[in-house]
Amino acid sequence: MSDFDKAWERLAAAARKAPGAADDSAPFGFSTRVAALAFEAGRPEPSAFGRLALRAALVACLLALAAVGVNYSAIKGAFADEPPAAAGDDPVSEVVNLAS
Amino acid sequence: MADDQSFDLAGCLDRVRRRDQIAARDLVGHLHPLVIRICRAHLPSRVAEEDLAKGVFLRMFSRIDQLQCAVTSTHWVSRIAVTTCIDQLRAQKRRPELRWADLSEQEAQVLDSVTAGEEVAPDEAVAAKELVQKLLERLSPEDRMVIQLLDLEQKSVAEISALTGWNQTLVKVRAFRARRKLQRFYRELNERERT
Repeated sequence: MSDFDKAWERLAAAARKAPGAADDSAPFGFSTRVAALAFEAGRPEPSAFGRLALRAALVACLLALAAVGVNYSAIKGAFADEPPAAAGDDPVSEVVNLAS
Repeated sequence: MADDQSFDLAGCLDRVRRRDQIAARDLVGHLHPLVIRICRAHLPSRVAEEDLAKGVFLRMFSRIDQLQCAVTSTHWVSRIAVTTCIDQLRAQKRRPELRWADLSEQEAQVLDSVTAGEEVAPDEAVAAKELVQKLLERLSPEDRMVIQLLDLEQKSVAEISALTGWNQTLVKVRAFRARRKLQRFYRELNERERT
């Protein structure tokens, strides 16, 4: 046994003699608080249908985003190709022309 | 757990599983002495024992369906308490260096006594305990746990194995390595005293 082992044994033996805390009982209100927290935290798991619905919603969102991505140029083109309003279709200019 | 004889643990566990809050409160009250003793023994610095005990009970309630038999519940709860303490110690990554200047006058005196091969005086037991805790704080959570259980709580290797889930060989190897590390810290502490 080395010097350290002997010293450690003496130290551990002395530490074991130290008085522990007198009271081991739960402090006032502790049990109630913990019980309330436990049941609050332990909410029931969603049902199988709920989980499936959530996954379906996520997949639908991804598909929608992918569809927008794939057709982005077509969507952009549809708005860009819209012909500007012809001057002849302007009812105000028509009225002015009639007056003159 | 003084009223062990009168407390209907199996019935209480059944009611807790049916989400009876009063039964849960009774169960916490019944198991608190056991849990708080484990928490106090393995309490990381800067963590309140009440918070640690609360963490143990919340973990226990989240796994209450895993407990099949009321007879083994004490051991099951002890194991949850020990693993919660190890997790808390792991979360506290910083392991402070121990210097001679960090010791109180009494702790320094205790260190002198044991180094000189003298017995520690009974009135210095608290200082000895604090010195031991300071030395243990330098170890990894697993090493600290094994030394605490083996040398301070005087549990057998089999008991430590059951409490921690480590096999007996691992417990012995951890204890050996932890003692070597303690020896190094102890030597450094004594050498720094002289420099």
